[in-house]
Amino acid sequence: MTETTLAAPRGAAAPGGPGAQDAPSGRPGRPARRRRLDTRNRPLWMLLPGGILMVVIILVPLVVAVVMSTLDLDQYTLQSWLQAPFIALGNYVEAVTSSPLLRSIGISVSFAAIASVITLPVGVAAALATQNRFRGRALVRSLFLIPYVLPAFVVGTLWRTMLQPGGVVDGMLGGLGVHPGLWLNGPLSYWTLIIVQIWTSWPFFYLLVVAGLQSVDPEVHEACAIDGATWWIKLRYVILPYLRGPILLALIIAFLHNINAFTLPFVLFGIPAPQDVDVLPVLTYTTSFQSFRFGLSAAMAICSLVLIAIPLFVYLRAVKLDSGEEEQR
Amino acid sequence: MRSRLALGAVAGLAALGLALTGCSGAGSSSTTSGGAVDGKGKTLDVMIAANALYPTQQQKWFQDVSAQFQKKTGATVKFETFASANDELTKIQTSVLSGQGPDIYDLGTTFTPTAYSTGAFVKLTDDDWKKLGGRDRFVPATLGISGPDQKDEVGIPFLSRPFVMAYNKDLLAAAGIDKPATTWDGLLAQAKKLTTGGVHGMAIAYADGYDPWKFIWTMAMQQGNTILDAKSKKATIDDAAVKKAYQTYFGWLTSDKVVDPAAIGWKNAQAVAAFAQGKAAFLPMVSSSSQVSLDASPMAGKYAYAVMPTVPPGATKLPSDGKAAATIISGDNMVVAKYSKNQDLAFALINMLTSEDNQVAYTKTFGDLPTNAAAAKKIEEGNQLLTPILDAGTKAYGTPFTGAWGDTQLALVNVVVQSIPGLSSGGVSASDLQAKLKTAQDAAQAALNKSK
Repeated sequence: MTETTLAAPRGAAAPGGPGAQDAPSGRPGRPARRRRLDTRNRPLWMLLPGGILMVVIILVPLVVAVVMSTLDLDQYTLQSWLQAPFIALGNYVEAVTSSPLLRSIGISVSFAAIASVITLPVGVAAALATQNRFRGRALVRSLFLIPYVLPAFVVGTLWRTMLQPGGVVDGMLGGLGVHPGLWLNGPLSYWTLIIVQIWTSWPFFYLLVVAGLQSVDPEVHEACAIDGATWWIKLRYVILPYLRGPILLALIIAFLHNINAFTLPFVLFGIPAPQDVDVLPVLTYTTSFQSFRFGLSAAMAICSLVLIAIPLFVYLRAVKLDSGEEEQR
Repeated sequence: MRSRLALGAVAGLAALGLALTGCSGAGSSSTTSGGAVDGKGKTLDVMIAANALYPTQQQKWFQDVSAQFQKKTGATVKFETFASANDELTKIQTSVLSGQGPDIYDLGTTFTPTAYSTGAFVKLTDDDWKKLGGRDRFVPATLGISGPDQKDEVGIPFLSRPFVMAYNKDLLAAAGIDKPATTWDGLLAQAKKLTTGGVHGMAIAYADGYDPWKFIWTMAMQQGNTILDAKSKKATIDDAAVKKAYQTYFGWLTSDKVVDPAAIGWKNAQAVAAFAQGKAAFLPMVSSSSQVSLDASPMAGKYAYAVMPTVPPGATKLPSDGKAAATIISGDNMVVAKYSKNQDLAFALINMLTSEDNQVAYTKTFGDLPTNAAAAKKIEEGNQLLTPILDAGTKAYGTPFTGAWGDTQLALVNVVVQSIPGLSSGGVSASDLQAKLKTAQDAAQAALNKSK
């Protein structure tokens, strides 16, 4: 492919340029012309490797999943799966009316939201606390990252062992005269999931906020010092506005990450999951690999995809990654 | 998204594999001349469970088998291992979809009905059985879960792992009990007698993902309830016999108090550990593989195995319609893929692996028991500890042979999982249990209705 042919798909390459449409080779309006000049030699072929990968590992499976969700696909029809009976929206109807899907969505969304919101102040506080130099700061900063870099499987096994009936946690609380009951089953298990997820995911917030703090101009700090701002005023009206972007980003990514968490609940609670922690990924997994209802499970997967797409859309609008407008700011 | 799309990804890859099938050379099927199969230059692909207890021995066994088979037929054997049943299922899915993959799969017995229902494996004809060395070379009970009936068998029994109970000889002797009871009520009475101080009568893994359904199924069978009736397509979980089974199983913990209260959080390994530390007198529902951990513990030499009770709870003898099920048929079956181009060679390999000598050698290395009748006899003569386990194997019954079993098993365990909070706070009320049984009944019935 040569560069000249690459300049051809200009309609696609010039997003939102209304003047760019009808211009065979000539002179459209001024703004469009300027854009044409910088788009001419863009090496768009560089998108190819990534594009092919996207198609193979995301688009194809997605299409297959959509097709599967309309089939009555199970262990009996697996062998010739394209011939499995087509039941249109049957799987979706079953998922909504006679499976625990809605309940699981409720659990997943509330769990993800609570865990994300609680990790926010924890992460911000940790980042602010380690911003100024002090002896041993590097050590503290690396210690902070430990929960985040541990594999979810290890985190799950660790907490599972500690939270066993008669385990370490029960022993310690019992010493204080507190007997909260079961951690890994029953109503408390929901909070166990939240606590462990917070434990393992707060450093992510911390990381993004630390990155955000780097972008605060040193002059700003100086100006605050000269004006005699107290630490709270400085934080509230000077620093936090700088952090708005990173915090919003972290909030949305953490939410998506939490809602997708599979390994942690799977290892902590096992299968079949206690009903209070039957989160969406675990339900989808069980439907597929324990009940062998591949079609129904694909329908559930599509439902959760839609669910995830909502915050994702909000996020993309918020950072304006989808419109290309950020270049103009 | 990862896990959610995994399924799609599998199917997507399978579709790719399908497209690529054309690239792989189509080997002609092996020809049989006389009795020996000529497999010169060929490679058989066998999918088998990774042995977590004996990883190095397993690697050596792979080499030995391949060498022995090469001597016999000229073909080599390539082993692939999987870590869990789900790994294997994924492999079966992709292979079934793409029409290529391992020639032989080693399956857990309770997974055999599910594999059968995919229709991807060779149904064994009389001729096939001949190539395998004859159907009558196997311990009859081990054939009970090879197919829905004798004409439609796919599974060739490879090893047997019946469930029994271990007991602490010292504790029993100290309490003046000469041998474990053969009724569940009798066992409970003994367990009560043995519960003192820090020692409990029984070690039960209530939080295990598999153990609970085996208890329920066994006690229901003994009362004449098979949980599922594949022929009339009726689930019978919502029934007095099953209720009685659950009440007995829960009662050990809540009302009889012969089990450590912490057991509501135990997996099987933790129950074994409690027994190994001398904290429990009886350890029901273990297989011969528990021998490895027990022999490495202070319990070495102080324990023995016994067949679990075959008389249902609340009875002193087996009811007329009851089945004296001592254990599920447990172990591994081998199946040959329909898409395999080397089926005769595959049969020859399984024939070799299920021969008397190879089965005896396998048992000596890995502890799993033979399915070859002659080999089983030989093992029994040499090892007193294993005798009750072999005995239990002959009293084994298969779980219902239907693709609905996977879901049913899950529903039975789910009753226990959702009852754990109740168990920790004193007990599960009859009405609560009834409601949970109804849920399980509906799940099992729905799975049966879909079964073909």
